[in-house]
Order: sequence, then C-alpha cells, then structure tokens
Amino acid sequence: MSMSQSSFRRLVDVEQIMGMPISVHVVLGDLDRDLDTTVVHRAVGRAFDHLREVDRVFSTFREDSDLRRMARGELDVADADPMVAEALRESQAAEVATRGRFSAWWQGWFDPTGLVKGWAVEQATARFLQPLLAEPRVEAVGMNAGGDMQLATAPGSAWRWRVGIADPEVRTATLATIDVGDGAVATSGTGERGNHIVDPRTGQPATGVRSATVVADRLAHADLWATTAVVAGFDDLGWLGDADSTSGMLVAPDGRVRRWAGITEVTLIDAHPFTVAG
Amino acid sequence: MSRIIYALLTTFTALVLLFGYRTSTEVVTPTALEPLSLSPTGQGNSTGGTTSSGDESDDGSGSAGTTSSAGTTSSAGTTSSGGSTSATSSGLQDGTYQGTTASTQWGPVQVQITVSGGQITDSQVLQYPTGNGRDEQINGYAIPVLNGEVLAAQSAQIDMVSGATVTSGGYLDSLQSALDQAHG
Repeated sequence: MSMSQSSFRRLVDVEQIMGMPISVHVVLGDLDRDLDTTVVHRAVGRAFDHLREVDRVFSTFREDSDLRRMARGELDVADADPMVAEALRESQAAEVATRGRFSAWWQGWFDPTGLVKGWAVEQATARFLQPLLAEPRVEAVGMNAGGDMQLATAPGSAWRWRVGIADPEVRTATLATIDVGDGAVATSGTGERGNHIVDPRTGQPATGVRSATVVADRLAHADLWATTAVVAGFDDLGWLGDADSTSGMLVAPDGRVRRWAGITEVTLIDAHPFTVAG
Repeated sequence: MSRIIYALLTTFTALVLLFGYRTSTEVVTPTALEPLSLSPTGQGNSTGGTTSSGDESDDGSGSAGTTSSAGTTSSAGTTSSGGSTSATSSGLQDGTYQGTTASTQWGPVQVQITVSGGQITDSQVLQYPTGNGRDEQINGYAIPVLNGEVLAAQSAQIDMVSGATVTSGGYLDSLQSALDQAHG
C-alpha cells in the first residue's frame, strides 16, 4: 500500500535534462527527527550532474558529443569517454539477449540512445540517491525520467511506491497501478512522439503494442525489455524467458491487456464461485 | 532450450490462472503463451504440495493442469461468494483469496488477491521461483492492477507515473507534473 498520508513527507526536484523532465522524489518519515536536508539536496544535485554528464557524452543533438564525433569518424572508442566503451558492451549484450529486437546499430552507426537513458538514471540513483537511505529519516528515493523510473526503499520501511501506468490514449489518466519497493519501471510505446520505436530487423515502426510496461530490478533492463516487448508485438511474450522482468503489462492498440509476473502470464479468469476467507 | 522454456511457461500459466473475479459459468481457458509447443494436459502433475483447498468448483481448468482455485487461511469462517447467475465484476465477497501453493520443479508458486467493496484491490504473487536463487520471495512481485479492478479512491493515490516518454512539451499538463507539484 502506498502510504502517502501525513506520516510521510517528501522533497521533489525536477530538472530538464536529455530533452525530458526528470523528477527526483525523496520520501522522508519519522517527522520528529531532524534531518539536515542539505545532505539530500547535495545528493540530488550530484544525481542530476551525472545525467548532464551522460548527455554531454551521448547526445545525438549536440555536434560536440562523443557519440556524434564518433559517428563522423573524428573520435575512436579508445579516446572517448569511458562510458562509451561501457555503452558499447551493454548494447552488444542487449542485442544478443533480445535476439536482435534491440539494436544500437540499425541506422548504420552506433546510437545507444534507447539504452543510455535508463542506464544513466539507474546509475545516478544507485550512486547518489540510494546512499541517502542510510540517513535515519530517509524512507525512499526515486528518479523518474520521462516516465521511466528507478525506485529504492530503505530496509524495513513501510513505504511502497504506488506507480501509475499511464493510459497511452489519455496523458492525464492511468490504466493500472503497481506497488514497488525496490526496482525499476519502464514503459515504451507509441506515445506522444508517435511511432518512435523501430523494429531493427525491418527498419519499420513497431505498431503491434500501444504500450509496454516492464518492472525489473534495474532500469537499464526494464527499459530494454519494454522496448523489446513493443517490437515483439502483442501476441508474442516468448521473450519473457530471456528477460529478467519481475512483472509487467502490455496494452494493444485495441485496448486489450496482457500481464505477467516473472515468466508467467497472469490472467484473472471467469470461474465458478470459490471459497472466501472472510 | 527454448522448447524447455515454453514448457515451463505453459506449466506456470496453468498454475497461476487460479482466480476468478467474475462469477459465471464460462469454461476457463487458460491463456497460453505462444508459441505453445506442448499440450497443457501434459502438465497435470504439477500441483503437488497444495495446502488447504476450498475449491468448490470444477471450472474446467483441470483439463489444463490446474486442480483447484482457492485455498483459505482465515479463521473467520468460509462462505461462498455470489451465485453463478451474477456476471458482474462486483460478485466477490470481501476478503483475501489465496491460491493453493503449487510445487513446481523450480519451487513453490502462490498467488493472492484481496477483495474489498466487491472489487479486487490488490493482487500479489506470494511465492514465485525465479530460477536465479531468489526463491521464497514473499510479496516480491506485485502485479499491475487494472483500474477496473481497484477502488477508485485507491487508484487516486499515485506516487509516480510510468508512460511512454513524456517530452518537455507534454510535461506541464501531465499527471507526473501534477504529482511533482502536489508533493513538492
């Protein structure tokens, strides 16, 4: 249960980085105790700084980014920021794991944009926000980058993040909710940018899934498999066996929904009455 | 290898499809993951280790390898939920419904749903084998709960919104923006 009642308070900060609004929430409990919030603000600032640094290296819009310089043949991986080599390794592993449903090379040059955002948010959360959980009053921390988030909760805390899964048809409405303590939630689909997920095997936009939400431990993985789910299409959950998704949901263009936990599809079915524990 | 995975998927699909939230006489047809490479009836021996079973129904799922639909743990006595003539989604009695614990070669599987005000307010996989050493993880995997299954008042309490990328242009009138402002 989400306990967004009076027993919790939170600090929220929003910045515009990587072309999207990024929200950081730090949930505070135990209001009788003092907390020097400069510790929190410093950590949040460093988390945002990390994202700006990633953007400086990987932006496809900045001609001076390492990525663009590599695409023009002006920079070699060995001379680029070490994050580039890491992204190369992650991209290669992702292409293998998804059996080609994800590729950072489908346009003919290395563009790990689809992978870098989740990866950067995951790292920023782990390095700069999660250490805040050691503070006695900090119950939970979370970073949400344009709808993809990494969440963490202090051991023993009663806090649970109640995450709304947006209705792909109505921006201000949700279709479903899921409670998360520690983990990542990513949603891919044909959102406000239109058909922006391309099947790298065909070069054509993937249109079979309106929205795919994947919950996983790491946002890099949640993001990757949400994209993969869109490319795979509504009828194909076969990739679940390869993924490390803990749960998730697909929405078809016609509104049908499929859900799963682990590698198991979960369906609430019509049935006869059964015994109730009162 | 993939055939083995699909076989396991089939097993688990059958095991987890234990809950009915509507009372009707429709025959249960487990939704199988595709491609389905094995006949579901080949999985019929996979529900050992069941705990108490309050199953009153023969809903047809036995043909797909499931053997019962609900076990009870509460001491408050058991009652039967609404009659089979009701086909509305509010035909459920309040309470907590737990599926029987099913032993699989990967470990126990158990699902629980909570019903309040005639609607499902929570659904959780209580136990689920992950195959990577995290067996016995209680309350580990919450399942996305559709708005139609929860009380409206509860669905309003949201902390974060996940959706296809919200760009700067769309942020200000987005639900996440409203949440950030409400809490900030």
